[in-house]
Amino acid sequence: MWNELRELYRYRELLWTLVLRELRVRYKNSYLGFFWSLIVPLVTVAVLTIVFKRVMGMVIPNYSAYVLAAFLPWMYFQTALLDSSQSVLAQIQLVKKVYFPREVLPLAAVLANLIHFVLALLVFFVYLLGYVGAPLLPSVVLLPVLVFFQTLLIAGLSLIISCLNVFYEDTKYIVSIGLQLMFYLVPVIYFSEQVYHAQLASPEWQRWIYLVYHLNPIAMLMTAYRKILLPPITVQQIGAVQKQTFASLPMDWGLLAVACGVSVLIFVLGYAFFNKRKWDFAEQP
Amino acid sequence: MKDTAILLEHVSKSYRLSHQPYSSLKGILLSMFRYRRRIEVHQALNDVSLTIRHGETVGLIGVNGSGKSTLLAIIARVIRPNAGRIEVNGRVAPLLQLGVGFHPDLTGLENVYFNGIILGLTRQQIAERLPSIVRFAELEEFIDTPVRAYSSGMVLRLGFAVAVHTDPEIILMDEVLAVGDEAFQHKCLRKIQEFQHEGRTILLVSHDMNQVRQVATRTVWLHQGRVMADGAPEEVVTQYLAFTEEMERRAI
Repeated sequence: MWNELRELYRYRELLWTLVLRELRVRYKNSYLGFFWSLIVPLVTVAVLTIVFKRVMGMVIPNYSAYVLAAFLPWMYFQTALLDSSQSVLAQIQLVKKVYFPREVLPLAAVLANLIHFVLALLVFFVYLLGYVGAPLLPSVVLLPVLVFFQTLLIAGLSLIISCLNVFYEDTKYIVSIGLQLMFYLVPVIYFSEQVYHAQLASPEWQRWIYLVYHLNPIAMLMTAYRKILLPPITVQQIGAVQKQTFASLPMDWGLLAVACGVSVLIFVLGYAFFNKRKWDFAEQP
Repeated sequence: MKDTAILLEHVSKSYRLSHQPYSSLKGILLSMFRYRRRIEVHQALNDVSLTIRHGETVGLIGVNGSGKSTLLAIIARVIRPNAGRIEVNGRVAPLLQLGVGFHPDLTGLENVYFNGIILGLTRQQIAERLPSIVRFAELEEFIDTPVRAYSSGMVLRLGFAVAVHTDPEIILMDEVLAVGDEAFQHKCLRKIQEFQHEGRTILLVSHDMNQVRQVATRTVWLHQGRVMADGAPEEVVTQYLAFTEEMERRAI
């Protein structure tokens, strides 16, 4: 593993060139260019806000800020995985001819999306301070930590997915379906507090459901993004039968540590898996 | 530098060829219902030993599927052999086939950087060699145009220009010259001769026997993954042509 990482470091200039190429190519033929990376989340969040406030009856001040705080990391997760699933296969002709550490291909896709994510976060802060007028919390200093562990998680998954997709092209379809389902298993359109107070659950089960739900590292990371970026909030939902109120829960640091640990583990395992198979890529007919 | 550029000792490589390739879920599911999986092992290289010294120009000949490209891929470190030892002393530059490594939406210049870096140059080195690369490719006017607008000859020239400017000690050419027009082929041959004078090592896969006779200093004939003959181009080419004629006669 260390040898592979050292070789990767030797090829860092190639990795960086690939990242720049991805960024350049993505919006090369569009007039609005990078703004598409902002328009997509902003339009999505606007629609979600209208639906959840007006139709579903969520009473939350600045709901859109809370959605955006989780939706941007979700976009990063989703687009990075989808982009990287094709990354090796798209360059298979090059892979068959030239020696270079194969992991630069999926990693470049991840890093290009990381840059988009960071730029989107800057816009988020402008929105937060300018439009919403919310004060910046001191816990914002933890943001780079979350981004770091999320990137490790994404990189680990990307290595597995891009490798499998060379041998089985079904992988990209499975990933795409998996992501669509996963969207409902992470707190973007709802709040983790609502999971805690899940309907049907007797009080002694609540804690367990909350725990199991957050063992999914991406779900925990997104709960964490919300909690470090925005002040705690009391969620009110006006349902057909009764009005429900969900008090804010404090950040569960233990669960966050588990999520970070799982992210590191997935990266290590993903890289080991990729390394085991990466010299078979060129043999694919 | 060592005298030996490339050393292959008892190198073997086999591929698993399945008649029902498991490249899709459907394939896997279907194969479960089959009585017997038909997986064949194709021996692409079979106990090949070769020593190539610096400054040699080796022509690799043989019918399709004889293992020439596999041999180049192993020397380029793209494929790992199943058995045997391989030693390569010096920087290897594979000449890429038409359009490989080029992005159609990027300009010629942007593609030069990408190609150069993937072949092992630094940005600095590319910047220094840029004027020479562009001049060699004869693309002064079009270097800021997206490659999509290039003719295939222009793409070929640019790819070749980058590769020859990577200052490689060992150059791998897999049928790359077959595509260009007359003028380009002449230019490439001149460049190859220049490389030969500079003492670089060239491995050339070709089906053009005249070209092999013309440029190679040594020729290796591969058949079914084995070295059939290895020696002076004239002799080996003659043997090979006699063999293929015999094959054709038997086929009729």
